[in-house]
Amino acid sequence: MTEVFRDSEEPTARPEPRRGAKWTRWLIVAVLVIPAIWAALGLGVSLERILSAPADMWNIIKAMFPPDFSSKQLGRTFPKVLESLYIAWIGTMIGALFSFLLSFAAAKNLSPRWLTFIIRNLFNAIRAFPELLLAFIFLPIFGLGPWTGTLAIGLHSIGTLGKLSSEVIEGIDAGPLEAIDSAGGRRISVMRFGVLPQVLPSIVAYWLYRFEINLRVSAFLGVIGAGGVGAELVSQLRFRNFPAAGTVLLVTIAVVLVIDTVSSMIRSRIIAGKAGEEGPTELFEEPSTVGVL
Amino acid sequence: MTAGARPAPPKKSVRPYLVAVAVTAFTIFAAKEVGLSLSQLTENFKTGRDFLARFFPPDWEWAKENVPGPMIETIQVAILAAIIGCSVALPIAFWASKLTANNKWVYYIDKWFLNVIRTIPDIFWAMLFVTGIGYGPFAGLLALIMFSLSIMGKLLSETIDSADPGPLEAAKSTGAGHTQAVQASILPQVMPNYVAYALYIFELDIRASTVLGIVGAGGIGRVLEAQRAFFRFDRIMAIVIVIFVFVFLIEQVSVFIRRRLV
Repeated sequence: MTEVFRDSEEPTARPEPRRGAKWTRWLIVAVLVIPAIWAALGLGVSLERILSAPADMWNIIKAMFPPDFSSKQLGRTFPKVLESLYIAWIGTMIGALFSFLLSFAAAKNLSPRWLTFIIRNLFNAIRAFPELLLAFIFLPIFGLGPWTGTLAIGLHSIGTLGKLSSEVIEGIDAGPLEAIDSAGGRRISVMRFGVLPQVLPSIVAYWLYRFEINLRVSAFLGVIGAGGVGAELVSQLRFRNFPAAGTVLLVTIAVVLVIDTVSSMIRSRIIAGKAGEEGPTELFEEPSTVGVL
Repeated sequence: MTAGARPAPPKKSVRPYLVAVAVTAFTIFAAKEVGLSLSQLTENFKTGRDFLARFFPPDWEWAKENVPGPMIETIQVAILAAIIGCSVALPIAFWASKLTANNKWVYYIDKWFLNVIRTIPDIFWAMLFVTGIGYGPFAGLLALIMFSLSIMGKLLSETIDSADPGPLEAAKSTGAGHTQAVQASILPQVMPNYVAYALYIFELDIRASTVLGIVGAGGIGRVLEAQRAFFRFDRIMAIVIVIFVFVFLIEQVSVFIRRRLV
């Protein structure tokens, strides 16, 4: 107690501002402003052009309302949106299957170093190709249609899911594995009863999360003819049939929102064990997780 | 309970099996719908093998002349979109968290806004802006700004949700206004995450801006689309390799910095 009184006799000095703050600030300015100016000059972007953009966009949105909700237009749009849904689902399944098998080989706590190195870089390499680019390459080989989009999404998902799954596997508790090993369990038992129960909830949650993303991807893959609702949006915009384009957009947004909501409910149920508890946001907490969404 | 008694096995439930059956049924149905069939796949591989020959060797002579310009445009679009998008997202993310929103109306409207713009994929944005503003990198820039904004808004607002509210109360109790208090207490807490997310979004923007040109929004994608129309797959291969190396390097550097940051 006395110490507290002694302290209060002379007022506490204000803490000195941290040193080095000044030059860090200049460094940040240099890192951000110089490239920004370089890019803006290169693209011929001016402030007034950016400020006038919302008005231009507003004109398009106005042209789309009211959307064309005739049964003919809805009859064209819904099957395409469903096709996108199927593409996303099968693509995610392909990605989940292969990434699941490979992620064990990519986990440092289960596999030798040389193997993890190869598989990890395989994942990195796959991820470097955007889905649209993959579909672009696949198109002449597999032809126009949903199958091309499915393969592109499946392949890309192997890279993203593989990275996330192997990180989940690396984060497990080694105790149960040792216990099974010391009880004389074979390697397959160690995997089945030691590893799998620990990693499955997180990995399945990632699959669902990837499905949400893949639904958005499969929506736009149609733009180049790889199946799905994108083709419909392209043709309506090209013919300047804005009310119909508005329908396509609204139906897509609605379906994606519904799937997002259901999927994130299932995800938080899987992760937290109970509905309504926190869960999906936890997926983003780990810095390494931010690597692939 | 006697010592060493075996714990009772967990109750068996039929629900997992029902879920498994439903998932399998849907998968089979969906697989049929997308045209998955093994016989076709083997045929695809046969034609694919012949076709791949047309991708090689990559036409580097042509690429040296024609790739750098559009590639720089691609990078410029990604840089500017990431900077503008992440800057605009900063206040929007703070309004979209219950902890820091000025009032509940701002919170609900902002949250709703972020959820809706997040459902629209980057390529759709590009198509909309191309239609509204015209062909060129400016449409791509605006598309990626919306894309960056939607992702940063979600990631950062969720990080703010889980920030420690203690410092905010402390700052408010000193008589600071709402904005001042948030600036002094929550902003420093989420700053490392913000920078890490920004780097991550820059990566995504680079990846996205390489393909935006396919729908007419500028950058290297425009060249890709043009060469496809000419069936010059050797040139496409050269572009694909350049994009691959570039995206791969950017990602490795960005991941390295991000691990250091958080």
